[in-house]
Amino acid sequence: MRAYVEFAKKAFQNNIAYRADCVAGIINAIIMIFVNICVWKAIYEDEQAVDGVQFKMLITYVVLAFLMQCIYAMDEYRIENKVRSGSIGLDLLKPINFSGYIFSYNVGILIFRVVLQLTPALIISIILFKMLPPFSLTMFALFLVSMILGYLVLYCLNFIVWISSFWFYWTFSLVTIKDAAVMILSGALLPLWFMPQAMVDFINLTPFASIYYVPITIYLGQMPMEEIAFALLKQLIWVLGLFIVGRLLWRSALKKLVVQGG
Amino acid sequence: MPFIEVNNLVKDYKLNVRKKGLLGSLQSLLVPEYKMKRAVNDISFSINKGEMVGFIGPNGAGKSTTVKMLTGILVPTSGSITIDGLCPYKERKRNAMRLGVVFGQRTQLWWDLPVIDTFELLKYIYKIPEPRYKKNMELFNELLEINSFISQPVRQLSLGQRMRADIAAALLHDPEIIFFDEPTIGLDVIAKEKVREFIRYINKEKGTTMLFTTHDMQDIEKTCQRMIIIDQGVTIYDGTVEEIKEKYGTNRTLQVDFSENVEKIDIPGIQVIEEKGSKKRFKFRKDEIQISSLINELTQKYSIVDLTVQEPEIEGIIREIYQGGIKFDESLCGVR
Repeated sequence: MRAYVEFAKKAFQNNIAYRADCVAGIINAIIMIFVNICVWKAIYEDEQAVDGVQFKMLITYVVLAFLMQCIYAMDEYRIENKVRSGSIGLDLLKPINFSGYIFSYNVGILIFRVVLQLTPALIISIILFKMLPPFSLTMFALFLVSMILGYLVLYCLNFIVWISSFWFYWTFSLVTIKDAAVMILSGALLPLWFMPQAMVDFINLTPFASIYYVPITIYLGQMPMEEIAFALLKQLIWVLGLFIVGRLLWRSALKKLVVQGG
Repeated sequence: MPFIEVNNLVKDYKLNVRKKGLLGSLQSLLVPEYKMKRAVNDISFSINKGEMVGFIGPNGAGKSTTVKMLTGILVPTSGSITIDGLCPYKERKRNAMRLGVVFGQRTQLWWDLPVIDTFELLKYIYKIPEPRYKKNMELFNELLEINSFISQPVRQLSLGQRMRADIAAALLHDPEIIFFDEPTIGLDVIAKEKVREFIRYINKEKGTTMLFTTHDMQDIEKTCQRMIIIDQGVTIYDGTVEEIKEKYGTNRTLQVDFSENVEKIDIPGIQVIEEKGSKKRFKFRKDEIQISSLINELTQKYSIVDLTVQEPEIEGIIREIYQGGIKFDESLCGVR
C-alpha cells in the first residue's frame, strides 16, 4: 500500500519539475473561462434570464466546469508510451499491481493540480468573475462527493481508452474522440438544460452526465434533494460498471502481451 | 536441484505479413494475413545458484525471447521453466520480488526526478527494510560512486552515470537472480571495466545468479564462466569460455620485428598475413607448430628486435561461429 502512496508522491514531484507548464495551465484556465463568459454575455445581451436560468448561475456553471476540467486532466498517453516503447515490460517485472500504479500516478497529478492550479485559479475566478458560493453547506459537501465520483467515472472511462493502445498502438484519434464526447455530452461546455429533451434523454443513458453536469447542478442547488441520492447512486454504478470493463480489458491486454510479446 | 531449469522451451510468434505497395498495404489493413515464426526452438539448460552465464548469439537468434520467458513476461508456447521451484509466468509477481533486471538501452529510473527518488520508491515497492536499504546504498556508493550525482535529475546524467544508477536500482532489493541485457552498451572503456568489476564483486559477495545477454564479448570473457550460444532459436553451444577457446582458438599470431629487411621466410606451416617494412605478422596453428621451436628457428636464422605471440580473441572465434565457419563436434559438452 505504501508503495502506491509513494507513486502518487512521485507523480506530484514529477509535475512540479515543470514550473512553466504549471503556470501556463492556470493562465489557460482563466483565459478559457473569460472567453466563454464573453460568449454567454453576447448571447444574453441585456436580458437577465434565458430559459429561466439566471445569468449569474450560468457564469458559476462555466467557471466550475473549467476549473473541474483543469483538475480532471490526466496523463492520457502514459500507457500508450509504455506499450509502444516496450517499457511496459519493466513495469510488469515489478512486484506491483500495474493498474493500481497507474491510478495512484494519476491521483498524484490530481493532488498536484488541486494544490497548485485549482487553488490560485479559484481565487482569481472568485475575484474576477464573481462566481456564486455553493447553494448551501450540505450541497457543497454533496458536490464534493459527487465530484470525486465524477472523477472516478472519467478515470475508468479513460482507462478503457488507454488500454486500447495494446491493440491500436496509436490512440491519439481515440483520445480526441473521447475528449470531444466528454466535452459535449457531459455538460462541460454547454449546460445540459439548454439541450433538446431527446438529447438529454440519450445522455442520461450514458456515463457522461455523471462527470460534470451532476456535480455542478448539485453545487448550484438545481437538483432536488430526493434526486441527489439517485444521481449519486447512478454515478457509483457507472464507476463500478466501467471499472469492471476496464479490468476485463486489462486482463486480455496482459494476455495478449505475454503471448504475443506486445 | 538446479536453481533455474529450462526444458524443451519453444516460442512461436504470430507475425503480421504486410504486402508490398499501396494496394498491398490496403489489403493487409482489411484482410490481415499471419504467419507463425518460431523464435525459440526447443532450448534446454539448467543453471545453478551463483552461476554467471552469458547468452550470446547474433541479432534475432532468440536470446531476448528466452530472457523474457525467464523473467515471466512472456508465456512459452510449450516447454517448462522453473526458477527455484516457481514458474515465472504463472507467479509473475512473486517471481518479480527476487528478480532484478538491467536493460542497457532502457532505464527504470524516473526521468525528471533525482536519482535518489527512484531509489526511495524502490524501497517501498520491494519493501526493503531500512537498515538493509542503508547498507546497500553505502555499498553502491563505495563501488559505483553514485553519491556524486544522486540528487541530479536523471535526464541530466551522463550515460555512464545513468547506467551505474540503473544497476544499483536493480540490485537494491538484493535479488537472487539478475538479468543483464547489454549492461555496458555505449560506455567508455573505463566505465565498462568499472561496471564489470562491480558485477563480479556482487556475484562473489552475495552469490547472486546472473544472466547476461550482450554482444560485447569482453563482457562475457571478463565476467562469465559459462556461455550459451544461441542461433536461430537453437542452443549451439553450452560450456565454458575456456573450452571454446581451447578447442577452436587454434590459430596463433606471431608478430616479429626484424632488424633488417627480410625477403622471404621459409618455414613450413606458417603463413604471412601482414608485412610492413621490417615488421611481419604470421599465422600458424598451435597444434601443428610448437611455438618454442618456431621462435628458436627464427632467432637462429634472423636477427630479431622484437617478438609477440597473440592468442585469438574470443570475438574472432564467435564471428567464425556465426558465419558458420566453425562446426561444433559432438564431443563438446552441451552441443546437440
